[in-house]
Amino acid sequence: MEKFDCIVIGAGNGGLVAALTLQKKGKNVLILEKGLAPGGVATSFRRGRFEFDASLHELCGYGELGNKGEIDALFERLGIESKVEMMHAKEAFHVVDKLTKDEYSMPVGVDNFIEKMEEYVPGSRDSMTTFFGLCEDIQDALSYLHSEKGAIDEKDLYQKYPNFVQLAPYKVNAVLEKIKMPKKAIEILSTYWVYLGSPIDDLSFVHYASMVYSYVLYGPAIPTYTSHELSRVLENEFKNAGGTIYYLSEVEKIDVEDGEVTGVQTKDTSYATSHVIANLSPKVVYGKMISKENVPIENCQLENERILGARGVSIYLGLNASCEEIGFHHYTYFLSNNLNSKVEYKKMQEVFHGNVVGVVPNIVNKKASPEGTCILNLTSLIFGDAFDKLVNKENYFDVKEQLADFLIRSFEETTGISIREYIEEIEIATPLTFARYTGHPSGVIYGYMAKGYDNLLPRTFSEEEETRIKGLRFCGGFGARLSGFSSTYLNGEDVAMKTLGE
Amino acid sequence: MKDIVMEKEQKKLFEKFNDLSLGRRDITKHSSKDLPKYNYPVNNLVSAFHPSKMEVVVTKIVEENENTKSFWLKREDSEYLPPFKAGSYITLEVHTNGRIYKRPYTISSDTNSLKEYRITIQEEKNGIVSHYMCHECKENDKLTIYGPFGHFHYSLIRDSSDIICLAGGSGITGVRSMIVDLLRTKKVSSIELIYGTKTVNDILWKPEFDELAKKNKNFKVTYLLSEEKREDYPYGFINEDLLRNLNPEGKTFFVSGPVAMYQALNDVFVKMDIPNKFIRHEEFRESLETEDVETYELTIHQKGNVTVIPCKSNQTLVQSMEEGRFSAPVHCTVGICGYCRSKLISGTVKTDTSALRKKDVDLKYIHPCVTYPLSDIEIELP
Ligand SMILES: Cc1cc2nc3c(=O)[nH]c(=O)nc-3n(C[C@H](O)[C@H](O)[C@H](O)COP(=O)(O)OP(=O)(O)OC[C@H]3O[C@@H](n4cnc5c(N)ncnc54)[C@H](O)[C@@H]3O)c2cc1C
Ligand code: FES
Repeated sequence: MEKFDCIVIGAGNGGLVAALTLQKKGKNVLILEKGLAPGGVATSFRRGRFEFDASLHELCGYGELGNKGEIDALFERLGIESKVEMMHAKEAFHVVDKLTKDEYSMPVGVDNFIEKMEEYVPGSRDSMTTFFGLCEDIQDALSYLHSEKGAIDEKDLYQKYPNFVQLAPYKVNAVLEKIKMPKKAIEILSTYWVYLGSPIDDLSFVHYASMVYSYVLYGPAIPTYTSHELSRVLENEFKNAGGTIYYLSEVEKIDVEDGEVTGVQTKDTSYATSHVIANLSPKVVYGKMISKENVPIENCQLENERILGARGVSIYLGLNASCEEIGFHHYTYFLSNNLNSKVEYKKMQEVFHGNVVGVVPNIVNKKASPEGTCILNLTSLIFGDAFDKLVNKENYFDVKEQLADFLIRSFEETTGISIREYIEEIEIATPLTFARYTGHPSGVIYGYMAKGYDNLLPRTFSEEEETRIKGLRFCGGFGARLSGFSSTYLNGEDVAMKTLGE
Repeated sequence: MKDIVMEKEQKKLFEKFNDLSLGRRDITKHSSKDLPKYNYPVNNLVSAFHPSKMEVVVTKIVEENENTKSFWLKREDSEYLPPFKAGSYITLEVHTNGRIYKRPYTISSDTNSLKEYRITIQEEKNGIVSHYMCHECKENDKLTIYGPFGHFHYSLIRDSSDIICLAGGSGITGVRSMIVDLLRTKKVSSIELIYGTKTVNDILWKPEFDELAKKNKNFKVTYLLSEEKREDYPYGFINEDLLRNLNPEGKTFFVSGPVAMYQALNDVFVKMDIPNKFIRHEEFRESLETEDVETYELTIHQKGNVTVIPCKSNQTLVQSMEEGRFSAPVHCTVGICGYCRSKLISGTVKTDTSALRKKDVDLKYIHPCVTYPLSDIEIELP
């Protein structure tokens, strides 16, 4: 039987970074991946003359020369910074309120952002300045927290980062109201809530602020050759460091004896190890991969309480005309039925609701598709199990087509840009598609909901207590830093360091 | 940054913060102790739509003509086969000559009857699988299939509601399924089928097409013969004049047939300035014509194992693997699905990278099913 210091289940963002980190620290690591390519949803696919990114809209926290962000710093530690080619958007986002047809284009750069907001919402300057000041404090505190490998000294934390400690239990809306941010500014500022998948009355301020900050500070970034480039480079680096990765290898069982991990099994092979990092949902791991008598009851209870996050529908369109010809001027279009996230969230429990994020990679990356063409990706999130309830074997293909039709129409009506006549290639991914490639329950793409007790901080601070099977840890979108490219990359490193500490 | 905000509540907050999990433990104290639920309806549908493989029984074999047979396949482990879009193919696995071969065949039956799939196989010159199926496969034989796969489909969103199908030889299989489906669901306004074969006897399902044309005013079929001259049939290949007569502007073409047909039509489409958007075609692979056959060594790394087998310059690496009894991961065999994607560690090859991701082309990945060796080769399979 092959034996490894650590086995990583799943080659998603979290799994790749965790594996690479450990391998570089001299450990002998095996990645077992059920699919055929690295990256999980951080991948791309070809249709005709187009290559579509399956998932990445934009990466936050990727700095530029002389202005290091968290992610390029991580890539530097991993030895891949110079091996990937990144580009930055000049605009943070463009949001359209479907109801009023009002549009807001928010630029990159803290000062620019504040100025623009003042233009849209006179009187917002002071609160916006306070907001970004808090962001800075929070960023510092979070770096401190994640760099403290052992127990955290609360007194010390309080002394160094009083604002952070005070704000930690609060939700986005509570803090923004407290600093007297005008309502309209709150609505515009909270545009990114869909990326975290929780309305702002349920979303941790600390978590949200750290994300907004890293987008506004450096600008959203994308790799030249889609997220597959990042995944492939990580995989390559891992292999070059002596790591082993097996594809088409679905792990079916994790062996546990006396509360400790002893190995894993695929359909036809067993591997020995005392450390497993699972890049998948704990619901699946505890639900079917460990024999019942070895599953801690408290973990079952926690998992039964946790709520699955957003499901996604994504329409990939290869268009046979350029951005100029079609009339695309923005990289990211957030199309909202209602800028109030609480109202919008409710509506998004339905399958057909019309909240859409549109991304045109060609605005940032001239090489995103052949000359004279461009790509539009439309993504729409669904909260809850409405899609599970709607589809069956008989109607699935039709529902898929109706959804795509509906989302394209929503985009056209809201932006006034017509795209239908240019569609040369179309692919539609639904929760079923994501369930197929990831194996996640209900095909969720954002891990668990960031509900109060399941926000960033409670997850981070409970991690050690909840690690009840010795040698079994979780990374990725279901992990402590929640979902998103940057979070899962960083989380991969965190978990690797904790495993190393054992 | 100056200290901020919630000063009045400072004391309270700090205490709350002392319980760093923010009540996480209390909230879960009373939850169910059962094993967590992980399987949702959508996850169950994944297995219904995409089983990893299927064992099937050949329930019926129909001789369509001299060199073509249809096979009806029924699943052994379940009542229903996966739903499929008209135009999809399955990969058929055949054990013969002490070797395992996998080949794609388009489903030629109707999308609304899922108890059995029909595939229709024309015997190819020098064909291994097609020869086996047409001569040795019998009713009640068991086979393994994978899929359905493919992207040769009609799309309501992308395609015109007036379509022109150009089918050649056994390329009619998927087109037949598509036409029947589109007429039944009334998704298009008109369908024009140009179906080219060598002789009248080679025409598959003529009575069915004639009947459909009689019943549906919006469906028209023209049979075109290339090796037999008959009064009541046009003679020759599909060419520019023929296409111009169909008023092709704004209509979507569905093209499925032998390689030579794609190559000829491609030039015509370019000449007629028909945008890519309006041309959908079934996938195909160009075969390599070489006089001198060289034999090289193929070294394969897979999951820590190393295998060395001979390979020939006039065979794809996948064909050499089949010959060398090495089980290769293949589905489409024509370089499009990505299932066989491997890293070329060393050696020079003639290959087609048009369906690979750009980064993978940079990093020397190849599709062995469309790769011919020009030297000794070393590759790493997934
Ligand atoms: C998506 C798809 C769908 C398809 N659907 C259908 C369908 O519905 N019905 C149908 O009939 N077919 C269909 N085909 C075609 C079908 O897959 C082929 O007929 C099949 O691959 C033939 O397999 P074989 O074993 O008979 O030939 P192979 O095993 O492929 O053997 C022939 C090979 O030998 C090589 N060869 C031939 N002559 C020589 C020579 N003289 N010297 C050296 N090498 C030589 C050729 O390069 C050829 O590749 C489809 C193909 C694709 C890609
Ligand atoms: S088998 Fe599909 S690309 Fe090779």
